Amino acid sequence: MSDAEEQTGPPITLVEPIDVSKLDSEFRKTIRSMPNGEELMACFACSTCTAACPIANQWDYKPHQLIRMILLGMRDDVLSSKEIWECLTCFQCQERCPQKVRVTDIFFDCKNLAAEEGMIPDNIIGLARELAEKGQLYVVTADWEREDLGLEPEVPGLSANGIREILKTTRTNKIVGGES
Amino acid sequence: MKDAVLVIGAGVAGMTAAIELADSNIETVLIDRLPTAGGNALDLYKAFPTDDCFYCFEGSRSRPGIRKCFYRSALIDQPNLHLRTDTEVAEISGSPGSFTVKLTVGPRYVDSRKCILCGLCLELSNAFEQISPQCQPQAVIYRPDLLDDGAKKAESDCPTKAINLNAEPTEETVNITDIVLATGYHEMQPINVDEYSYGKHPNIITQLELAKILDPNGESGGALLRPSDGAQVKNMMMIQCVGSRDENYYAYCSKICCVFALKHAKIVSSERNGIGITVVYMDMRTYDRHERYYRETRDSGVRFLRGRLHLIDPREDGTLDVTVYDSLLNKYLRHNIDLLVLSSALEPPESNDGIIQLLDVQMRSGFIGPSDPFSENEVVAGDHLYVCGSATGPTEVPESVTQARAVVSKILQGRRS
Amino acid sequence: MPAYNLYMGCSVPANYPNYEASMLKVALALGMELEYMENVACCGSPNLRAIDYLGWLTVNARTLAIAEENGHDIVTPCNGCFASLKDTLHHLKHDESDMKKVNSELKKLGLTFKGTIKVRHFIEALYTDIGVEEIRKKVTNPLDGIGISIHYGCHLMRPADVTGFRPEILDELVSLTGATVIEYPIWKQCCGATVLPVNEPLAIRLARDKIKSMKEAGAAFAAVVCPACGNQLDLQQLGLKDSYGEVYDLPVLLYPQILALAMGMDESEIGLEMNRVPADTILDHLTS
Repeated sequence: MSDAEEQTGPPITLVEPIDVSKLDSEFRKTIRSMPNGEELMACFACSTCTAACPIANQWDYKPHQLIRMILLGMRDDVLSSKEIWECLTCFQCQERCPQKVRVTDIFFDCKNLAAEEGMIPDNIIGLARELAEKGQLYVVTADWEREDLGLEPEVPGLSANGIREILKTTRTNKIVGGES
Repeated sequence: MKDAVLVIGAGVAGMTAAIELADSNIETVLIDRLPTAGGNALDLYKAFPTDDCFYCFEGSRSRPGIRKCFYRSALIDQPNLHLRTDTEVAEISGSPGSFTVKLTVGPRYVDSRKCILCGLCLELSNAFEQISPQCQPQAVIYRPDLLDDGAKKAESDCPTKAINLNAEPTEETVNITDIVLATGYHEMQPINVDEYSYGKHPNIITQLELAKILDPNGESGGALLRPSDGAQVKNMMMIQCVGSRDENYYAYCSKICCVFALKHAKIVSSERNGIGITVVYMDMRTYDRHERYYRETRDSGVRFLRGRLHLIDPREDGTLDVTVYDSLLNKYLRHNIDLLVLSSALEPPESNDGIIQLLDVQMRSGFIGPSDPFSENEVVAGDHLYVCGSATGPTEVPESVTQARAVVSKILQGRRS
Repeated sequence: MPAYNLYMGCSVPANYPNYEASMLKVALALGMELEYMENVACCGSPNLRAIDYLGWLTVNARTLAIAEENGHDIVTPCNGCFASLKDTLHHLKHDESDMKKVNSELKKLGLTFKGTIKVRHFIEALYTDIGVEEIRKKVTNPLDGIGISIHYGCHLMRPADVTGFRPEILDELVSLTGATVIEYPIWKQCCGATVLPVNEPLAIRLARDKIKSMKEAGAAFAAVVCPACGNQLDLQQLGLKDSYGEVYDLPVLLYPQILALAMGMDESEIGLEMNRVPADTILDHLTS
C-alpha cells in the first residue's frame, strides 16, 4: 500500500532508561549535610508533600519526585529545574511530612547549590543586586505618602553599610559580579 | 511414655511448644522430617525484631541469654522431651484424646548419641556433613547418594563407632493424647515466575539463600560474594512480592518478607561497607513495631524504589543489567548489579496436604486453619488438635512463640478438666 | 510600658506606610514603646536565603546582635522579616559551627550574636504583652459583626517548630474588634508573593484563589499582617478584571487598621485611602 509507505517516517525512538551508575551517588550525602537536610533519607515516598503543595499540579517534577531524584543522585536535573525556584516556600509540604523530612528547607539547600553553580533565574539575580547595592529590596518611591501619615520620609534607621559589608564576603558578591 | 503429646515440626513454634509442655511434666515427642531441629530459623544468622545473632551465646542487646541457647539445652537435657529427627508420621489411628501414631524413623546412619563431632568422617568423605554448628542433635549427617570409599573408611575408623552405612528405616508407635501441628513454611523457589530468571543465572537468589551467604558460619565467612565466580558484590538489588499477592501464585501477602528483606538490607548496608543496595517494592508492609526497622534501614543508606521489574539483561562480566520501572518518578531506571535477591513467597510445605487430609483439619490457603474460623481460638485446629507458627500461614518468630504458648495453655487447660 | 526594638524591614516603610502608621498609633494608645532599630537593613527575605544561606544568616544575625545590645525583644510587622529573624535565631541556636562562622564575620563589624533575645510579630506582642482584655477596653467603636476572613501568611505559621505561632491569637484579635471571623477552605494556602519574581501569572492565580475562597465563604473584608501578603491580596485584585474577567471588591486591611478604627481613630490617621481596593466601606460597620 503506497499510503502506508508514504507515511513511514523516521524510526521510533524509545526513551533509554536512566543509567543509575551515571548518577551522582554523593548528591544525597551533600544535601544531608546541608541545613535541615538530616532527615532526607527518611523519605518513604508517600507523596504527602505533593498532596500538600498548592502549585505542584502544574510541575513536571512533583515535590516527592524531586526528593526521589535527590536520593537517586539526579543532581543536574534537580539543580537545573524550574521547580525549585517556583517553590512558594509556604512550608505546607514540610509541615505535613509524616517522616519529618524538611522538604522546603531541602529545596532551599538545592537552590543554594544551584546558585553556587550560577544557575539562578535572572529576576532573582536582579533582587540580589538590589540587596548588595542598596541594602533593601524595596525603596521608598512615594515619600509624600509617609509624610501625610506623620512618618519620616525615608525608611527609619536604614543603613545599608552593614549588609553591604557582609554580602561582599559571601556568595552574593560572586552572584552579582562584584569585585572580590 | 504415658499421655504423651506429639509435636510435628521442630522449628521455632514446635520447639517452643515441646519444651514448654515438657517443662509442665508432659511427655512430649517432637519430630521433624529433617536431620536437625531448628527449621527455617537455623538458616538465619540474625533474627528480627531483636537483631540477636542465632550463633551468639553472649546474648543480645535487649536480652541476656538467648532463645537458641535455651532451646538447645532443653532439647538435650529435658527428660520429658523426646526429639526424633529424620522422622515422619506414617499413620494416625484411634480417636481424639487417644491417638495411635506410627512414625517412620531414619534410616539412622549416624548415631547422634555416639557422634562426638571429631570431624574424621568429614575429612574422609563428602558424604558426611555438619549442616550447621547449631544442629540438634549435635551430629554429622550422611548422604547415601554420595557414598564413596572414604565413607566406608569413615565407618570403620569412627572412634565411637557411630556410623552404620547400612542402616534401615525403623518404625515406632506412640500413644498420643494431643497433636500439635507446627509444620512451618517453605520458601517458594520462583522458577516458574520467568521474568525473574531464577534458576537461570547463579547471581539471582532468594532471601533464604542470601541469609546463608551472610551467615558468618557460611562458606564465605559472611562475605557477600557472587555465587557465579566468588567476586565481591559491589551493587545488589532486592525485589519484593515475588509470587506473593499474585493470583497466579499465592494470593496472600507473605507478611514477613518485607521485614526479612529490611533486615538483610540493613546488614548489607551497615555491616558490609560500601555495597550499594536497592530494594524494589510495591508496598512496604512493616506492620506494628517493625516500622522502626524500615526507617532505620532507610537511614542506613539503603535505597528504596517503588515499582516493578522491567527487564533483566545478564552481562558477560557476570553482572546483571536490571531495568526497573519507578512508578513514583515515572521513569525507567537501569541498575548494573552483581546480585539480585528475590523476596519469594512463603508457601505451605508439600507435606501439609497429607497431614491435612489425614487429620481432616481446615485448609486455609494451603496452610492449616482453625477449626472454627469465627472463634478467637486461632490455634485450635480440631478436637485435641492444635496448630501454631508458620503452619497457620507466614508467621514471624515472636508470633510463633506466642502461638506455641497458646497451644501449651490449651493443652494444660484440657488436662485439668 | 513594654519596650521593643522595632524592626521594619524595607517592604512596610516603602510600600505600606498605612501599615506602619496604624501600627505605631495602636501601639502608642496601648502603651507599647516601639523604638525604631538603627543601622539595620533588609532581612533578605527568602530570596537571599535561597542563593546565599550564609550571607542571609549573617545579615539577620547582625540585626539580632544589634537588638541584643539594649536587650529588648524585636518586634516586626512583616512576616518575611519575622521568618528570617526567627529562622536565623533557631538555626544558630542549633548549629554551633554556623554560629562560629557567623560570629567571626560579625566580629569584623564589632558585633557578637549571642541568641539572648526573642523575635516576635507585632500581633504576638499585642496578644501576649498587652492582652485581649486590655485591648478590648480600648475598643470604643466596635464593628457590627461584619465578616472578616484572615490570611495569616505562611511565614508566620510555618514551620511551626520554628515560628511557634498560633493562628488562634489572630482570630481573637480580630474578634475583639466586634468583627466575625469567617473561616474559608484554603486558609492555610500561600498568597503567592514569593513566586512573583519567577512566575507572575502563577502568583496572581494564587492570590485570586484566596480572594475567591474568602469571598465565597461570605467575607466582607480580609485581614492581613504582612506587606507581601497585603500586596498580593489587595493590589493584585485590581488586575483580575483583565486577566480573569473577575471582580471581587474585597477590601483588604492590615490588622492594625481594623483595630485602630474600632478604637475610634480616624481613617485619615491610618491611611485607609491607600488601600487599593477601596476599604472605606468598613466605616459603615462601625458602631458608635
